[in-house]
Amino acid sequence: MRVPPKYTQMAAITLLGGATLLTLAVLVFIIAFVLEKGLPGVTWTFLSAEPQDMGRAGGIFPIIVGTLLLPLLALVIALPLGVGSAVYLCEYTRETRLTRVIRFGTDCLAGIPSIIFGLFGLVFFVGILHLGWSLLSGGLTLAIMILPTIIRTSEEALRAVPYAYREVSCSMGATRWETVRRVVLPNALPGIVTGVMLGLGRCISETAAVIFTAGTVAAMPTSAFDSVRTMAVHFYLLAREGISNEKAYGTAAVLILAVLLVNLAAYWMMHAFIRRRAR
Amino acid sequence: MHAPLPTTDAKITAHEFCLFFGKIQALRNITLDVRRNSILGIIGPSGSGKTSFLRAINRLNDLHPACHTEGLLQLDQTDIYHPQCDPVALRKRIGMVFALPIPLPLNIYENVVYGPRLGHHCPPRAELDMLVERSLRAAFLWDEVKDRLHTSGLRLSGGQQQRLCLARVLAMQAEVILLDEPCSGLDPISTAKIEEALTTLKAQHTIVLVTNNTKQAARVADETAFFLMGELVEHGPTQKLFTVPDDPRTNDYVTGRFG
Repeated sequence: MRVPPKYTQMAAITLLGGATLLTLAVLVFIIAFVLEKGLPGVTWTFLSAEPQDMGRAGGIFPIIVGTLLLPLLALVIALPLGVGSAVYLCEYTRETRLTRVIRFGTDCLAGIPSIIFGLFGLVFFVGILHLGWSLLSGGLTLAIMILPTIIRTSEEALRAVPYAYREVSCSMGATRWETVRRVVLPNALPGIVTGVMLGLGRCISETAAVIFTAGTVAAMPTSAFDSVRTMAVHFYLLAREGISNEKAYGTAAVLILAVLLVNLAAYWMMHAFIRRRAR
Repeated sequence: MHAPLPTTDAKITAHEFCLFFGKIQALRNITLDVRRNSILGIIGPSGSGKTSFLRAINRLNDLHPACHTEGLLQLDQTDIYHPQCDPVALRKRIGMVFALPIPLPLNIYENVVYGPRLGHHCPPRAELDMLVERSLRAAFLWDEVKDRLHTSGLRLSGGQQQRLCLARVLAMQAEVILLDEPCSGLDPISTAKIEEALTTLKAQHTIVLVTNNTKQAARVADETAFFLMGELVEHGPTQKLFTVPDDPRTNDYVTGRFG
C-alpha cells in the first residue's frame, strides 16, 4: 500500500528537522558545558597575567599571544602559496593527467593525520634546518599541514565562478591575469575565505604537531626562534597531567570565544567586501 | 555566386577558411568578405557553424584546447592567425555580444569601463564618465540607468542586461562588433531597441550579426550569408538572398521549409 504524500512529506520534515535540531543541540551543549565550567575562571588577571607554577596559578597571557602568532604565521605562509597554486592549477593549466595526479595528491595530503606533519616538522625544521622548537618551526609545519585544504577549497571556489565571465573578459581583450585579478578572484573570494577559515581552525585547535615543532614553553616569545605554547596545547597539558582542571576549562572557554570571534570577524570582512563590490 | 567586392572595401576577409575542433571540422572552406561599415547577417540552422565562424574572428575559439585553423582569415588585410598576431590586442579591436546577456558581476559603471580600463593605459575619470554616458546612450540604455550607475549590472532586466553588454562593447571603441544571436532571449521591444542601435552603429563599426531569426537578418543586414553544416551556401545582398536566392537550399531555409 502506498503512503499518501501528505504523510511522507510530514515524515520528511520531521526527520530532516530532527537531524538539524539534534546537531544544533549537541553543539550548543558542548559550548555551554565548557563555558559554564570555564567562564567563572576567566577574569582580567587570567587573561593578562603570566602562568605560575606550571599553570596551576596565574593567567595565560603568553599563551594567548602564542595562539595568535602561530596560526597567523602559518596563514601568512600558506595563504599566498595555496591560493597561488590553486589559481595556477585552475586558470593556467589544462586538465591533463598531471593536474589530475596533483589534485589526487593534494586530496591525500589533506587527509593525513596532523601528527605525521608534526613528525616531519620535528625531523626537518627542528632537526635538519636547526630551527629548534620555535614559532618558526611550528608555523612552517602548520602551513604545510593546511596547504592542501587551502588549495583544494580555493580551487573549488575558482571553478564555481561561471566560465562565461572568463569568456566575456577574454573577448574584451583582457589577458588571463587581468581576468583572474578583476573577475575570477573577487568572485571566488567567499569560497577562498571559507577554506582559509577551515585551515585557521585546524591550526588553532592543533596540539600534536604544535608540541612536536613549536614546543611547550609557556613564556612570552621574543623572536621567531622562541618556543611558544598555544591554548590548545596548554589545555591538553593541564588536563593530561592533572595540573589544574579549573585553569584547563578557563583556557578552553577563552579558546572557544577566540575561535568564535575570528570567524565573526572573517565573515564580517567578507560581507563588507561583497557589499562594496556589487550593490 | 555573388559579385566579388573590391578588396579595399573589405574589413574582414575569409579565404578558404577551415576550422577544426580536434578531428571534427566545424567550418569548410569559407570564402567571404565583410564590407567596412556594413552589417553582415549570418543565418543557418543550429550546428551550421555560424557561431564558430564568429568566434574565429576574435580568436575566442583559441580557448578550446584542440582548435586549429586552415586557410586565411584577415582583418584589414592582416592575417588574424599569423603566429605574430597577438590575440589580446586583436580582441581589443573586436567587441562581442553573446547570446545570453552576461554582465560581469560588477556595477553598471564598472561593466561599461571594463574594456577601456584594461592594459597599461587607463583613461582619466572624466574621460571614463563621458565614455560611459556616450556608450549607454548609443545602446539606448542611458535614460533607464543614469540614476543608478552604481547598482549591480545583474539587477537589470534581461533586455537591459543585453543593452548593457552592447554598451560595454561600444565603450571599447572597437572597429568590429560581433553579435551572437543577441536577441534570442529578448522581448520584441528590447529587440527593436537593439536593432535600432545596430543600424546607427554601422556608421562607425563593421558589424557581423549571427541570428536564428531570419526576419531579423532581413530587417537589419545589408548582406546576408547562409551557413549549412559548416559550409557557406550563399552570400549576397540581403534583399536578393531573401527574394531570389541562387541556391534551392537557401530558398527552402528562408521560406521556412526546413531548418
